[in-house]
Amino acid sequence: MSAPSDAEVIGRSLGDPEAFGLIYDRHAATLLRFLGRRAGAKVAEGLVGELFRIAFERRKTFDVSRASALPWLYGIGSNLLLKHRRGEARRLRANARMAADEAADRRTSAAVLDARVLFSRVADAIASLPDDEREALLLFVWEELPYQSMAEALELPIGTVRSRLNRARAHLCELLDAKGKDKVRSR
Amino acid sequence: MKPVDLARKLRREAALDPAALDRGKAVLMATIRQEVERTRRPVIVPQLPYEDIRAALSFLERAFGFREIPTSRFVSADGELLHATVEFGNSLIGVGGQGHHGAISPMSGGVESQFISVQVDDVDAHYQHAVAAGARIADELRDHSWGERTYWALDLEGHRWRFGQPIR
Repeated sequence: MSAPSDAEVIGRSLGDPEAFGLIYDRHAATLLRFLGRRAGAKVAEGLVGELFRIAFERRKTFDVSRASALPWLYGIGSNLLLKHRRGEARRLRANARMAADEAADRRTSAAVLDARVLFSRVADAIASLPDDEREALLLFVWEELPYQSMAEALELPIGTVRSRLNRARAHLCELLDAKGKDKVRSR
Repeated sequence: MKPVDLARKLRREAALDPAALDRGKAVLMATIRQEVERTRRPVIVPQLPYEDIRAALSFLERAFGFREIPTSRFVSADGELLHATVEFGNSLIGVGGQGHHGAISPMSGGVESQFISVQVDDVDAHYQHAVAAGARIADELRDHSWGERTYWALDLEGHRWRFGQPIR
């Protein structure tokens, strides 16, 4: 006998609420890592608790035609993150420094410097994207969600997800270009 | 490198506490149990007046298998037991003194104005238990044409109880 789908488990949890624990067992680790990347370990632990409490309370509204609950849970997490943006820009910059050091490993100090400038600009650009575009971008590039899952998480038609990602990409290019030019001009 | 690829490179893992998952699970299950508790509780709770609350609680437990909810006791400043709640299955019954709220025990009033009907899993065993504990049987254990097996009993102050089980 194969394991019941998330939809079946959630369906069962309507009459037998404790069955919902299985949804936690299946997905909590993924979501804790997702929230950790975005909000830091400390905040993530509190958020994952809130996420599953909300999911449990809203389980009646889960669309049972979806086999996996993971995109739905990502969506609840994304909404929670909107209220916890404090420190995100700082975290992105710290990530940028690490990314730069990795990228420029064992090269000249000039290369390290260039990489640092480049990645810190990327960090700032991501931080200054509109909320909906940043969320779509990071679900795509960090969480590697396919379009269909993003559509379920963000409760949008797939076409809207694509166009939002395109807008985010265009925005990111603009922000990087503008910053680059500022740098040149200020010299 | 394309901006999206640059953005991808900023992905970093947070240093997560391995025990965080277990703590989260414990919190969730506590929330769920609270919810179960809340929805499982009946919205109508009969309140029965007794002359002797302690004797009543002891009898209801011994004879009928009701369980007192330990945290439910309401005791006055001078130590008098005023009220307690017993549970059975998903149901509750309040046990209080008489005279309060205008209700009186059949022992003082001489009449029962209502009875309480309880569905049990094994009415034969329940009956044996009640008889052994000294319950007065008001109507013997028997099958009824509508597909139920019941008996009636009076508790130590004369409240009338009906216990039944569907015939399979």
